[in-house]
Amino acid sequence: MIEADYIPIAALNQYAYCPHRCWRMFCAGEFIDNQYTLEGTGLHDRVHTLGSNHREETWQVRAIWLKSDRYGLIGKSDLIEETDGQLCPVEYKRGHRGEFDNDELQVCAQALCLEDMTQTTITQGFVYYAQSHQRQPVEISPALREDAIATITAVRTLLHTGTMPPPVYTKRCRGCSLYAQCLPQAATKVGRYKETL
Amino acid sequence: MGTVYISTDDTFIGKTDERLRVRAQKETLLDVPLIKVDGVVILGRATVSPAALIELLERKIPLSFMTGTGRFLGRLEPELNKNIFVRSAQWQAAGETDRSIHAVQGFIRGKLKNYRSTLLRAQREGIDGLEAGITRLEQATNPINQTSIIDALRGLEWAGSAAYFGHFGRLIRNGDFSFKTRCRRPPTDPVNALLSFGYALLGHDVQGAINIVGFDPYLGYLHTQRYGRPSLALDLMEEFRPLVVDAMVLSAINRKALTPSDFADEPVSHAVSLTDEGRRKFLRLYEQKKQSKFKHPVMGRQCTYQEAFEIQARLLAKYLMSETEQYPPLVLR
Ligand code: SF4
Repeated sequence: MIEADYIPIAALNQYAYCPHRCWRMFCAGEFIDNQYTLEGTGLHDRVHTLGSNHREETWQVRAIWLKSDRYGLIGKSDLIEETDGQLCPVEYKRGHRGEFDNDELQVCAQALCLEDMTQTTITQGFVYYAQSHQRQPVEISPALREDAIATITAVRTLLHTGTMPPPVYTKRCRGCSLYAQCLPQAATKVGRYKETL
Repeated sequence: MGTVYISTDDTFIGKTDERLRVRAQKETLLDVPLIKVDGVVILGRATVSPAALIELLERKIPLSFMTGTGRFLGRLEPELNKNIFVRSAQWQAAGETDRSIHAVQGFIRGKLKNYRSTLLRAQREGIDGLEAGITRLEQATNPINQTSIIDALRGLEWAGSAAYFGHFGRLIRNGDFSFKTRCRRPPTDPVNALLSFGYALLGHDVQGAINIVGFDPYLGYLHTQRYGRPSLALDLMEEFRPLVVDAMVLSAINRKALTPSDFADEPVSHAVSLTDEGRRKFLRLYEQKKQSKFKHPVMGRQCTYQEAFEIQARLLAKYLMSETEQYPPLVLR
């Protein structure tokens, strides 16, 4: 597998949120920072400073590259912890737990990489929500794995073909930083529009 | 949010912290947070500090250079939008294709319908003698959708514009000004000078919108490729000319916001241009017009003209990429 075929883990999360958004960001290259993503980046700057330390019985390493040849995945982890020989990925998010579970997918993808890199089995990960300082455990269940693998395939097809998934207007659009570029209601509105004389 | 116009010669444009600072002769003319700036236009001579240049590029704020009279010289453009899908759809539609014909029909229909609304509004306000112009505009507009040769569409556009400008002089209700016919390069009367200057500013803004969306500005459908001419910006400008420039020029004259003393003319050539003070007034009025709000007929929400430039560019991109069935030009009553 050539390097270019590796799917960025971050793309999975975006795809699960909205395939059109994933296309805009990763195919069309329209990554426009808004307040949310900027805050998110600030957090990641801190998290993504390479370093490792011990916290009580837990060994921690931050900001390392994760890669899986088996699934063709690549990305950066926020934090990997090891307790009693068991590795566990932790993903940092701004704000609180959202209504959408795409963050779990990202943790699962990190777990798949870790498994591939260390030949171990990962059973659990966490999403850390900065605003509420809460750790949400994520069980790396067979169902979640299946979901993640299906998403990897879908994203790979998307990145290879560049075919645009049409925007679909849902309540997720309200929190989407690409709304002004995407105008998800335009097709419906243009379709209904009758020009006056 | 807005465009910063720098019309005083020999200014120095620098950056301090997160602010753009414009100075001339040791005086600060302007000091604005960069977050509020979405374009910079230099009319005449100015020095831009390297720090300010880099900041403008990083913030994707375009910088245009024009002569004092508004002739476009060039532009420092932030990195091109990476959306090659938009550019490729734009190129696929080049020439006499179904899509380019539809788009051209839209640009011209939009312009002529907005011309007609301008005359109709004036008629409602009691100006006589406009019927012939309105009729001729309708005669030019009606066949647009059945005409599928771009040259023939150019002919309809020409006929409609001639009908409109043939009556434009009647819309002026200020004895100090008059308009006979449209003349450019150089304009030899104040009204033509204002129109030309206004269209140059509009061109800057529409080109900015086109770049943000990811188009190749040099490939147009109505205005076909000619080296160094931002043809697509000229295309997309058509529907906005009456709405933005003509409307503000008429209101500036009729409300006496500008007076004959705001103009100067050259000896021999009789080229007319705004004085420094007149230009400042005009730039302020233009910016106000751009920030004025209306309800977008397609999107169904309030927006400013400045936002509408980008909305129309996005709607054009969506049409060319087959996301929508039609390109709806901005037509306002
Ligand atoms: S606005 Fe909605 S449809 Fe468009 S990219 Fe965002 S989530 Fe997807």
